[in-house]
Amino acid sequence: MNDFFGKLVELFTTPEYIDSLLHGFLLTLEISFFAIIVAFILGTIISLIETARPSKWMVVPKFICRVYVAVIRGTPMALQLFIMFFIIFAIRDFPELVTAVLAFGFNSAAYTSEIIRGGILSVDVGQTEAGLALGLKRGTIFWRIVVPQAVKNIIPALGNEIITVFKETAIVSMVGMYDLNMAAKDIGSGQNMASYIVPMFTAALFYLATVYIITFFVRRIEKRLRKSDVRS
Amino acid sequence: MMNGKIITIKNLKKNFGRNKVLKGIDFELNAGEKVVVLGPSGSGKSTFLRSINRLEEPSAGEIYFHDTLVTDKNVRAVREKVGMVFQHFNLISNLTVMENLTLAPVKLKLMDEDAAEKKARGLLRHIGLLEKAEAFPASLSGGQKQRVAIIRALMMEPEVMLFDEPTSALDPESIGDVLALIREVADNGMTIMIVTHEMGFAKEIASRVAFIDNGRIIEEGKPDELFVRPKTPRVKEFLDKVL
Repeated sequence: MNDFFGKLVELFTTPEYIDSLLHGFLLTLEISFFAIIVAFILGTIISLIETARPSKWMVVPKFICRVYVAVIRGTPMALQLFIMFFIIFAIRDFPELVTAVLAFGFNSAAYTSEIIRGGILSVDVGQTEAGLALGLKRGTIFWRIVVPQAVKNIIPALGNEIITVFKETAIVSMVGMYDLNMAAKDIGSGQNMASYIVPMFTAALFYLATVYIITFFVRRIEKRLRKSDVRS
Repeated sequence: MMNGKIITIKNLKKNFGRNKVLKGIDFELNAGEKVVVLGPSGSGKSTFLRSINRLEEPSAGEIYFHDTLVTDKNVRAVREKVGMVFQHFNLISNLTVMENLTLAPVKLKLMDEDAAEKKARGLLRHIGLLEKAEAFPASLSGGQKQRVAIIRALMMEPEVMLFDEPTSALDPESIGDVLALIREVADNGMTIMIVTHEMGFAKEIASRVAFIDNGRIIEEGKPDELFVRPKTPRVKEFLDKVL
């Protein structure tokens, strides 16, 4: 126990260690943040194509989206990361951060598209029919009626996906990137503290605290959006 | 009020996959008529009504609004003039009562926002729900929702109103309120088509009754003829059971 507290003091009093942890944490945040943006944009596009009414123009895009989602969901994230690093972006001096952001963004887009698609399909068809019967344009119906109701259904699952991406970025240590996970391993290694317990638990707390903050904000948004459900 | 034929339907057919729901319906609706559509469940009554404003895409046949063939291109203009009231109300759940009433007339430039709100307030006051103007539909009872749905259709100043089993999802107490409002709309001269199982109301309001069975109109006539002396055994059998 004494040793544990000793190590704790050592970690937080050695500027290099703190510096490593914070750098690692920053990289984790950067990858997650940009990956989630990529995932949201690409996921939205995919879900719009997949929920669009069938027509001859949509056959090919719909097929591409289905294949994309199937391939991404059907293969391991770690393998996708390797493919991005060692095959697709195996270009000298290509920024690692961009490669990682795209790897996680492309991966999460498949899941995000399914979340959004589910949200759109969960809106009662009667809501659309009411709009149609009034003579409203499909665009008006989609943006004024379907989207606001779908968003409400989507937020909890989307929050979950953000958390998943944030934690899953820990596997970038497999391609040698210095994220929070890697920092903990590095600080705990033989050349440094020669003990994994304190740095790894510290890293765990960083992850946990961040997830808690994400959860807090997602809950708040959820609550705000539920105001039309109140039966008073 | 325009005179003459408002809706003409020729050989309307509708299939859901291999299931033939409508097997060739010919029908005319004239201004001022109150047509009650009767028939056993699954006979195609609702599909028939929903085909008129193309909520169901017909598989074959033609629908004319006045003299214009209703197509994909002009269907929105027709829907503006054909009000619809659904069994499950279908108030837009993310919009307040006021927004439900004003969205379409304002978006479709039938009136400006002030005029729409004024009209909406007048109609809400008339049905005793003015204090619910800023409420969301979830806070209304079934009967209140349906009455708002009816005035939402009225906001568009339609030439015809289609009622698809408007009281089937209501508790007995609110059925009376909704029927009273429909009766009032009818008495004010609105042309109406209504699918209903409220036989008493049907008898009272109908200027004409159309009986659908198995995807076809098998008998049509004035209520005092069709209810009292049905010509077809199927209609007689149905009436014996429900009256």
